[in-house]
This record gives sequence, C-alpha cells and structure tokens, in this order.
Amino acid sequence: MPGTIGPDQVRRVADAALGIGGADGVEVLFMHSWGGLTRFASSAIHQSTWSEDTDIRVRVVKDGRIGVASANGFTPEESRAAAESAREIAGVAAPDPLFPGLAPPAPIEATDRLDEAIASASPEQRAETVADVVGRCEGLEAAGAYETSAMEMAVANSEGQFAWAPWTLASLSAVAKSQGGGTGFAETFATTLGDVDASGVGERAARKARSSDEPRDLDPGAYTVVLEPAAVSTLVGFMAFIGFGGRALLEGRSCLSGKNGQRVAAPTVSIYDDATSPLTIGSPFDFEGVPRRRVELIREGIFLDGVYDLRTAKQTGKEPTGHALPAPNPEGPFPLNLFMEPGDATLEEMIAATERGVLVTRFHYSNIVHEVESTITGMTRDGTFAIEDGEIAHPIKNLRFTQSILEALTNTTMIGRETELASEFFFSSSRVPALRIEGFHFTGRSDH
Amino acid sequence: MLDVARAAVDAARAAGAGFADARVVAIESESLTVRNQEMEGIDRSSSQGLGIRVLLDGYWGFAATARLGEGEIHRTAELATRIAKAASRLPREPVTLAAVEPATGRYQTPMQQDPFTVPLEEKIALLMEATRRVQAVEGVTFAEGGIDLFRSRSWFASSEGSAIEQTIVHSGAGIDATAIGDGEMQRRSYPNAFRGHIAAAGWEHIAKLGLVEEAERTGTQAVELLSAHECPSEVTTLVLDSGQVELQIHESIGHAVELDRVLGMEEAYAGSSFVTPDDRGSLRFASALVSITADATLPGGLGTFGWDDEGVPAQRFPVIENGMFENFISSRETASVLGLPSTGAMRADGWQSLPLVRMTNISIEPREGTLADIIGDTKDGVFMATNRSWSIDDRRMNFQFGCEIAWRIRDGKLTQMYRNPNYTGITPEFWGRCDAVGGREDWTLWGTPNCGKGQPTQTARVGHGCAPARFRDVQVGVRA
Repeated sequence: MPGTIGPDQVRRVADAALGIGGADGVEVLFMHSWGGLTRFASSAIHQSTWSEDTDIRVRVVKDGRIGVASANGFTPEESRAAAESAREIAGVAAPDPLFPGLAPPAPIEATDRLDEAIASASPEQRAETVADVVGRCEGLEAAGAYETSAMEMAVANSEGQFAWAPWTLASLSAVAKSQGGGTGFAETFATTLGDVDASGVGERAARKARSSDEPRDLDPGAYTVVLEPAAVSTLVGFMAFIGFGGRALLEGRSCLSGKNGQRVAAPTVSIYDDATSPLTIGSPFDFEGVPRRRVELIREGIFLDGVYDLRTAKQTGKEPTGHALPAPNPEGPFPLNLFMEPGDATLEEMIAATERGVLVTRFHYSNIVHEVESTITGMTRDGTFAIEDGEIAHPIKNLRFTQSILEALTNTTMIGRETELASEFFFSSSRVPALRIEGFHFTGRSDH
Repeated sequence: MLDVARAAVDAARAAGAGFADARVVAIESESLTVRNQEMEGIDRSSSQGLGIRVLLDGYWGFAATARLGEGEIHRTAELATRIAKAASRLPREPVTLAAVEPATGRYQTPMQQDPFTVPLEEKIALLMEATRRVQAVEGVTFAEGGIDLFRSRSWFASSEGSAIEQTIVHSGAGIDATAIGDGEMQRRSYPNAFRGHIAAAGWEHIAKLGLVEEAERTGTQAVELLSAHECPSEVTTLVLDSGQVELQIHESIGHAVELDRVLGMEEAYAGSSFVTPDDRGSLRFASALVSITADATLPGGLGTFGWDDEGVPAQRFPVIENGMFENFISSRETASVLGLPSTGAMRADGWQSLPLVRMTNISIEPREGTLADIIGDTKDGVFMATNRSWSIDDRRMNFQFGCEIAWRIRDGKLTQMYRNPNYTGITPEFWGRCDAVGGREDWTLWGTPNCGKGQPTQTARVGHGCAPARFRDVQVGVRA
C-alpha cells in the first residue's frame, strides 16, 4: 500500500508549477488519495475496489485574469504542464475584477489525523470486518460497505504560503433485511481503525430489521418526530448547501440572507463549523490555503453569520474563515465540518415524551424544493416506527417528508446528549445529535 | 495504451486470476462559466490511469492506479487478485459471466468539429453575448452561462481476447436566469436545467442550441415567475415538457430496470427496485401508449458507444413495449443470474472505477402530435416544464419532482403562470395514467451527465430521448 508522499516531495512538485514565469501569481492544490472499499450484498462480498490517484490543480493569475488546469500526476513535469495550461487559459480569459489575490502566508495548526492502520488497511482486514457485520445479522440479508480512505492535501502559492496535511477515515455502513420486509440501517465513521465497531453496526442494523418486520401504513400528516443522528445529518448537511455559504448569503440566495442576528431556530439549537476539532475529519486549511477557523453559525437559535473564502470576504469586508472550495468555484465557500451542539436527552427520553409520533432512522434521496424557504423533500428508510403513548408501537411503511429545515429547527423541543459523525463524502462531515421535532410534515407514503 | 491494458491482463492472469479485463482511460474536460459578464472560471482537467478487474474462483477484485509503469501494473494486478481472494471470506455462489464474443475494434463519436480545438475566445464570446442578453432583462439578478466539453479515450483488453479502443466526445452548453425578490428566488434555464443540453457531438451541437436567441425569453420568464401564483394543490391532468419527461424516465424507469438493483446489489446505498426478475413480460409498467427503448447506438446520446466496459457491443432493445415490461438493462454477471445474454450496459465513470450497470440511452418512443397538440387537446390541467428538483424512494416507487415553471391549461390554451410547481406519484400508477405521448416533432435526445450510483460514488453520463407527455389524475402542488 502507498503512504504519504510527504511535504518535502509535494513542495518539489508544486515548485515546478510556481516557477513557470509569465504569471503574476500561481497556486497549486495537490491532493493524493488512496484506499479500498469492500462492498457487500446478500450477505456476501460482491464488489471490492482499491485505487490511488492524485490531482494537481494549478491556478494562474495573469493581468487580473484567471486560468485553472488540473492533471493527475506525481511529478514536477506534470505539475509544470498543468501550470502552463492554466497560464494559457489565463491569457485569453476575461478579467476577473473581484479576484481577491492568493492567500498570504499564514501558519497552519498541525493536526494528527493520519492513522497508519487505516492508511494501510488490507483487503483481508476489510473482509474480516464485513464478516463480523454479516455474522451479527443471522437470519437476515446484510448489505453495506466498508471503506478505508487516506488523503494528503497541500496548497502552495507564489505568495509564500505552503500548507500540507494528511488524514484518514474509516466508514462502515450496513442495511439488514428480514424476510418480513423489515430493514435496518446502522453506520459508523472512525478516524482510527481500532474505533470501527463492526459488531455494534451489525447488531444495530439487525435489531432494527427484526423490529421493523411487517410495517403498517401511517397516514401522511404533521407529526412529532424523533430523528436519529443519521437523519439529522441530512437536515444539517442541506443547510451547508442552502444556508451557510458566504456567497449565497451575499447574493440573497440563502435561506438565511438578511437574517443575521435574527432567531431562526429554537433557543436550544446551536450549529457551528470547526475543522480544528479533534472530533471531525479533514484538513485544517481550505483549498486556497487559508487556515480554517471555528465559525459560530447559529448560536442559541440566533443566526450569527456564514463562512467566507477570500473572494466573499473581500466583497463583504469580512475576514476569510477558511472555507474555500477548489478553484474555479462558482458555488462559493462551504462549511465542511458542521457540528450541532448536544443537549441532555436520551433517545429513550425523546420517545417517552412523544404521545403520537414517528421515529426515523435515516432519510433517503433528499433534495431541495425551495432554497429560500429551506424546504427539502425526501423519504424515510431502513427503520421507521410509529410512536404511541411514549413507546415505539410498531414499524411503519416509509413516508415522504416535505419540510422547511429552519421550521424544523425552530420546532425542535429535545436534543440528544450523544453526537455521531456522518459524512456524505470524503471532504465533508457533520457531527450531530438526535432531535425531537414537533409538527414535521409528511406529505406522502410508499409501499414498503 | 492497448499494450498497457494487455500487460495488466497478463499480470492478473499470472497472479492467479481466472478472468481479467483492464481499461486504460484518459479523460479530458473543459468547463467555462460566465456569470453577470464576469468569468467565473475556465477549468481544464485531465486524468489518466489503469483499472484492472479480476475474477478468481468466482469472486471479484478490482484495483486501479494512476501510475502506469511496468512495476506498478504488476503490483496493481496482484492487488486486484488479492482483493478477489479476500472476498471469498464470505462464501457465495460463484460469479459467472454471460458469454460474449471477444471483440476487436475502434469506436469514435461522430462529430463535425472537435470542440477542444475551438478557440477559448469564441467560447467566451458566445457565453458573454448570451448572458448579456439575459441580464438586459429588467429584474434579472443573475445571468449565468456555461459550456462543458468531455473527451474519454479508453483502451480495453480482456483475457478472453477482446481489444477495443474508443473515443467518446460530449459537448454541451446552457444559460440560466435567476430573479430574486420579496423572499422568492426563481430560475429559468435554457435549453435545460443543470448546464443545458449535452450531447455526444462536437462544437456543431453547441452552435445550434440558440443560446443567444433564447436569452431574452429565459430572462423574462425568470422575472415573471417572481410575481406568479403558487402552483395550486390539487389532483389534475398534468402535461410535461420533454425536459421533465427526461427526469421522469431517468428516475422512475431507468433506475428501476437496472438488473443489479433488482438483484439487490445496490440495496444498501442507492436502493433496489419494485421490479422483480419474474416481471419480464408480465408486469404492466405503464399505459399501452408507453414504449421505452434502451439504445446505445443512438447518434448523439450520452449513453452511446461501440462497446460497454465489458466489451459487449452496443445494443438497442425494448425495455417497455406498449406498457408491458420486457427487458432489464444488464451486465454479463447480472444477466447470467437470469440465464440471459448481457444487454451491454456495464460502464465505469473512469479508470479508477469498477464498471456498474448503467443506463445507456433510455428513451420513450414517439407517438403522435406536438406539445401544442397535447395542450390543445387538454380541457383543464397544468403544464410543467424544465426540471428543478427530484426525489424518489429506494425502490423507485414514491417520487416527488419539481419544475421551474408551469401554466394552467384551460380549454386547450396556456393561461395563468404558476411558480414552484411540483407533483408526486407512485411509479406504475403514474405511468399507467399516461394518455398522450408526443410525436417525433417535439422529441429531443437529452443528456444527463450527472447520474450518481455505486460506492465509491460514480457519475455516469446517460441519455434520454423524450417527447412531451400527458398524465391524468396527478397530485400537483405538494406543500410542506
């Protein structure tokens, strides 16, 4: 298995691009990723993959014009070729009057997020972990995936900034399926291999599947819901898309535009972004090389502010918060390490406090209905239960929700004391608790 | 590069694989975005590498690398074989492959003008002029335009003797207008949402799109939507334009008939399907007006190629014929489970990805009449155009889709404009209520370049030939 290329060699690769000449500024974003994924279905491993790749992405500034080119390579020659291509593009591009300049030199807080055991995990280890999950699903069909991923990322620019960081992530998910139509989902994300609790994932998925046999119909309508963390991560994750980005805020596209200082959620709800926390994954600097800062987004229900890259910081007169995406980036800055602060309730207490409601394990295929109203739609999946008189009464067929996220956060009445990490893709994550929300809108149902 | 693929196959066989195939793939892309007369970015990317797939005692292994040196080819082949061995930790019925004749040959997307050779200045000028005209409409907040070019060169070899070289070229462009005011944001796109209309073609496709000519109308409609009424909530007759039929087919038919989903291979992530292996020839999927064809030979489609990524030749076959479900889209492995030949739909999104069952060009067969004819034949209903939002359950049954714009149909005429239109339904019920499908005149072969599936997630480029269509008794205007 490969290891990190390391900052010294990465710097040599980047220097080949930085030294091309004929440019007013050059930035190199270098990403090197490798890892394996073992996928299982019908309680057997059916797809197993491994890959290693790089991306050398070069941004060249010339007379206020910008060009970006990228290639996957490992050598100074390939880096230089990408830079020359970017310079050629910059030579014909229209001027960019809003270009804020490249990131100035700034120290990057060192993080220790490389777990050698994850970085070098073998196919045999992944298969053994999957076998553990499947073994906990006796009498059921188990499906899922176990991925061990490693990444090193660096940003170097002609202003003198150089930042490098590696990190790893192991993720394990499982869906167990019973003969009676019950399905159960569980997942875990771990930053050290030793923290991957395969038995726990298998047992939780199996327990849910067994208890969701023979689901019944429930009429759509407004219900009190208890959302487990995987479902909450969908709501919070969509806020990254439609709420917290500085460019969306600036342009009036965000559901939070113009609401700074206003109440947008229940007083118990606080959401922040913090790449520096040891409880998350990823890089301590953004894709422009700016150090990531902790940003308070919603504090005790009040929207404070969003996240900013160099461009939107210049446009708004604010400080960049270290949330740029790779150039070119028409979407603007984006929070990749969201946290919702935990409360003091257990899941059992939330259920006990609910006279009539729905317990949701996770959502499926959610999408935006109305950005400015923060309305999304999606389906429940793999463990949806009716709550009656403070107890889980019976499994129910999956429901479609159509719901404003801000309204849901405003109607949040209880917050779980434990948080779980969820990651939709390798660069982003959210760590969130379970929530109890009143008046959650289910607008349809499915047949299973 | 065919030599590299062959060397990888040989290395895998030497490492113990019973079957192996290998693909060297080199992908280039160019993307330009203009917004409010400023360059948002010009991005040129390339990626090249090798993916090796092996079968060892009936278990799959796959490994891929961007390093193409001889030593790395051997290391990667050995790793793929080791991964296959590890998969046997959980016993299963050994994988078998539907037979295919070893293929040798070349395929290239037909095109008149290589889009990568068109000067950047010309591309920028087109986007600047089109978006200038959008922005000239009073009330438009953002005018955005984009051009996307894609070229994939691949070299495929298998231990069965296939040796194939293919070059696929896709070109696309589009504009959109955004208007913001009074707590509303409305967007109109042309020719379609999400970066426009992409086709397997050269620059000639972009030149014919009429971006400049349609710019003012696009901007005007975005502004008009701001003050339009909300789409009412009711059960009514729904007419969809061909762009929305594209999304409807993609989500509720195309994915539902992927045989890997049907067999549970995507169960934990993208989901499965309400269609079962026994449904061939017996499931009424839609009304008798609806015939759906999979056609990887269709000129201009994003799902058009010479051979799939298993070396199976491109095919045309019925998926739904006069409403009855007939055939799955499949791979050699999945087809073998049902004792059928592969329908040639196994594709990967790059060298680093394991091929999966993917849509090719899944199209509705045209019937009769134009969109205007269908609207003219509708006494009362809602006409919706251009996809904005999509969501469907894990068995492809319950869906809810949103569009950019709608109008009331009264006595065969479009009357009041509606904003934020959406509709919901259950797949076979919805398709069963289709009582009009437009003819060839308004049939368009759309490209969907962003179809996500698999773990690690892959993004496939697929096509859908679509005519406008009408559906009775549909719930529209779903509100929170």
